[in-house]
Amino acid sequence: MYDERVLSSATRAGVEPISFEHPRYEDILRCFTDEPRRSVILTGTAGDGKTNLARKVWCAIQSNSTESFEAPYQKVTFSSGNGKTRTIHVIKDLSEIAPQGTGRWDPAREEILQLFCRSIFEEDSTELFLIAANDGQLIESWRKLEETDVVLRTRELLETLLVEDRQEDTGAHLSLFNLSRGSSAEMFDLALAAFLAHEGWDVCKALGSSEYSFFGPSCPIRHNYELLQTALLQQRLRSLFELCDLNGVHVALRDILLLLSNAVLGHSGVRERLMTPKDVGQIIKDRTVAKASIYNNIFGGNLTESRRESLDLFDYLNRFRIGFETSNKIDDILIFGSADERLSPFFDEHLRADRFYGADESYFAAQREYIEGSDEEGAAASSFLEMLVSQRRGLFFKIPNSESEELAFWKLTVFNYAGEYLERVVKVIENGSKVERPILFRLVRGLNRVFTGMLVNSERELYLATSLSYSNAKVSRMLEEYISVPPRLGERVEIISGHDGIPRISVELAPGIECHLQLNLTRYEFLSRVAEGALPSSFSKECYEDLLAFKTQILTKLDERRTLQDPEEVSALNFKLLELDDYGNPSIKSVEVLDA
Amino acid sequence: MPDLTAVAPPPHAADHNTSMWVDEQIWGHRLWDSQSPWMIFLEFLNVAEARLRGGRLLDEGEGFVSLVYRPYRRMALRNLLFNNEAITRISEDHRDSNEAWTQWLSWMSDNVKGVTDLERDYSFLKNRFASFNEFAMLIGMLRGSAVESASNKRWTSKFVFPFGPSALYVDLNISAATGKAGREYINFGRTGELLYMMLWRSNQGEKLKPHLETLLKGDNAWNQLVKLLQPGTDDGDLDAPGRSCYLPYASHTCFDKLGEDWLNILELNLPGFDALPHLVTLSAFHIMLYKLTVASDWCNLRRPHMICEVVAPKKTIVRELSIGNHTENDMLSRRAINAYIDAIENSSEWRTAAAEHGAFQKCSEILEQRVLWGQDYDGPNDPQALINDFRELAQKRHSQHVANVHRIYGKGAGLVSKRGTNKLRYAPTDGLLKTLLYANVGKRMEFGEFLALMYERYGLIVGDLEVEKVLAKEEFDKKAFQANARRLEQRLGSLGLLKRLSDGCAYVENPHRRKVA
Repeated sequence: MYDERVLSSATRAGVEPISFEHPRYEDILRCFTDEPRRSVILTGTAGDGKTNLARKVWCAIQSNSTESFEAPYQKVTFSSGNGKTRTIHVIKDLSEIAPQGTGRWDPAREEILQLFCRSIFEEDSTELFLIAANDGQLIESWRKLEETDVVLRTRELLETLLVEDRQEDTGAHLSLFNLSRGSSAEMFDLALAAFLAHEGWDVCKALGSSEYSFFGPSCPIRHNYELLQTALLQQRLRSLFELCDLNGVHVALRDILLLLSNAVLGHSGVRERLMTPKDVGQIIKDRTVAKASIYNNIFGGNLTESRRESLDLFDYLNRFRIGFETSNKIDDILIFGSADERLSPFFDEHLRADRFYGADESYFAAQREYIEGSDEEGAAASSFLEMLVSQRRGLFFKIPNSESEELAFWKLTVFNYAGEYLERVVKVIENGSKVERPILFRLVRGLNRVFTGMLVNSERELYLATSLSYSNAKVSRMLEEYISVPPRLGERVEIISGHDGIPRISVELAPGIECHLQLNLTRYEFLSRVAEGALPSSFSKECYEDLLAFKTQILTKLDERRTLQDPEEVSALNFKLLELDDYGNPSIKSVEVLDA
Repeated sequence: MPDLTAVAPPPHAADHNTSMWVDEQIWGHRLWDSQSPWMIFLEFLNVAEARLRGGRLLDEGEGFVSLVYRPYRRMALRNLLFNNEAITRISEDHRDSNEAWTQWLSWMSDNVKGVTDLERDYSFLKNRFASFNEFAMLIGMLRGSAVESASNKRWTSKFVFPFGPSALYVDLNISAATGKAGREYINFGRTGELLYMMLWRSNQGEKLKPHLETLLKGDNAWNQLVKLLQPGTDDGDLDAPGRSCYLPYASHTCFDKLGEDWLNILELNLPGFDALPHLVTLSAFHIMLYKLTVASDWCNLRRPHMICEVVAPKKTIVRELSIGNHTENDMLSRRAINAYIDAIENSSEWRTAAAEHGAFQKCSEILEQRVLWGQDYDGPNDPQALINDFRELAQKRHSQHVANVHRIYGKGAGLVSKRGTNKLRYAPTDGLLKTLLYANVGKRMEFGEFLALMYERYGLIVGDLEVEKVLAKEEFDKKAFQANARRLEQRLGSLGLLKRLSDGCAYVENPHRRKVA
């Protein structure tokens, strides 16, 4: 159990563990203290802090007792005021009591779960539960229970809550808190604050006085710690977490803490690739401070490839491809910036001025070799290219917002439109405002191009086209219908907020007949790039498939609308064909066939 | 061995023009290896349409009745669509519509083939279109939508998309000698007829009927257009009834599963004709399963399974096992032929005859009666030599066509492939996975449950829990199959068909989930 390991490590080291109140803590406690009382399931993926949270709730519930939190199953009885005695059963980790593999439930333990199933469907039950389990175990354990009516009913309930991302359902006195559905960005804020505010840093600060000492003026650990306190780095890092949330990728709390410690301590040249105070003096003497770059550490750049690949966190962060994506302007600054007078202000500000991770002697040497050398495939070139990766990562965290127009730092990621998506879509919708028309129109243009398979430039109508035989054919020229984007006669296309915080594209065909598409970061980027006419072939097929499925949904809704409206009198056969002029403007050619 | 009381006896020798009756008795007349999945489906539609026209759709009465039907020929339409290369040129050359019509009508009357004199005149079309240009464009679009339009079949074997009854017709060939069109059995080799019989004998016939009626009514603009491209009424255009096909089993779990899967797809109410490709895939897939299942029944083996590799970048143990498994299954039907002939040789009837005076004569009679073979035999007058010769010929004949069905239909359905290697193995395509998921998942299903269902229902093996059921522990590597399942999970995820909750839990989802009644 990780929670216990943290506690015992902290005791051994003689420091307080990093600790902060979980955002769901109060909500969970209220389930047991406020009427109507309800049971709680805490679920999520490994490292979300389920056990830690359960322990804190357990301590709060039985504040007058000193019962430890060791046993896998415990219960406590208390009087709840109105003369009722209630029991709270706590299972701190379902996997500890549930059968593993092909095993079967122990009858006594099975009875506890059966009791749980009965209690959540009872009015004002005296039996309350707090169960922590990861979602896979939850489903798996329930499948092995004897299939009584309440077990089946509970299983169905749990599946619905899990798959549909809901906390409650009518008819059951149960709240399911899925910690994997919480905001990673929010957890990042809390973890970062607790990490930076830890009392241990004060001890470190008192130690560093001389040039070569730990936490001295040249100590990379200290520098990383200080960089981590700067608003710009915090903001950029937070954006990455926010974008993970908006792409449906959840970063566990344990991984956030791992990131913070790796960011500060990472160094590719020391044992375990993490610095200890003892390493610092040598690193400074050897002039390998650059290998401790926080910008590189954030992406696990200090770790071996296999170690990095084994950690979900770095898989998620490296999907942004920061360090490998770039723009001409940025690479010009990095390669020619020191000598070019237009570019040198940027070079001086972001590279020359950074005496820790900026352009040092080895950088200039490698740069010269790269520009003047004849050996393009050689070791010198490849070492310079490696430095570029590190510097691009640095720039992503250094370019201030005031230079964002000029240097377009989101081009350093694979998601060129990510900044716009955060600022001008997600935030705007959160504030209850409407997304500006040009953005909506661009997305519609992207949809039109996917839906028709042609380079349509139209953006005020959404074109629903099929081929003769197959509605999802690559090229679809038969126009079924077009839907007005600005509101008109019950039709409209707009961007709305989703319950999970991720925006939706909503296509309304008539009042009450509408389809939604989750507009996550990847789809936003995909549609924007399609609309602008360029799509790298590496871009996921998943998006394309999702959009075709969306088209099918709209076509099905269109049928629904047709059956609701009075069928028109059809006297002649009429085929509507979509034709494009040289500028991509669609026109509709109508071909009539007479039964003569 | 199958329950022989529920098997139809062989027909009279004169009913079918075959050199022997072995494959036919085991699987039916006939599994035709060179019929593509779409052709099977089109042939099926022709049968179904003809039976609907006669008021007997999936309603063939009790017992083993013959299936006799009269499909359409539609030579006028086929000339218009596929024997009409001048239309584009004429349309481009002539601005003036009238002139173009005149040119084209004259070209057509010189070039049409296999039609009646009445059908030779296409001038009725002129009044139906506003301009020759529009007419040519629509013909071009119809031609572009043709089934397997990329193939280079001769024009009389090209098929317009089955929009409805007006777009259905059988495979024909124009005789060089007489210039007349006659029935051809290369593309329509009766497997579509068998498909019809299977669906009729499945336990889903009644439920399928209304869906098929909708499909065959052709209540859509394209069917109307195709109808308006043809002269007059349909009555004179029917082909003569052919000889009946033959399906040995009165009922079979394979038929039921086929019917259930078809029904599930049809109940999704997909827009337009989007259900059709799924039905096509399912038909080829189930007929292949039927072939394997019947073969293993005859060999008294347990139900066949298929170890599927979810294509990996590198060679894996799963691939190795899948290759071996494919080879083994490929041999199954040859073993079934042997088992079938063994059963004759071991029957008391044969043994008694072989021991009696005039053994050769009597044994010849048995073969003639049971497998419609023996007249051309010219070997030694010895029962053993006779049956040995027969066995050899039966295997040879089997290997020419029916033996290939597993491989060819497997490929057609998207199950069998050489992708990434030089040997055949089971490696399902995205298309097949999608179809199977649509046919089996209501709203959602836990991923592990889905893997278990694929095994229970079809014998498809992807994950470690399933392979455990057919192989001994030392024969496979658990981790390799777990990785295989993970790859499937990723593939389904990339098709938008899977929702991952966390490291331990994922659900497959059917985006076109059935509407709750």
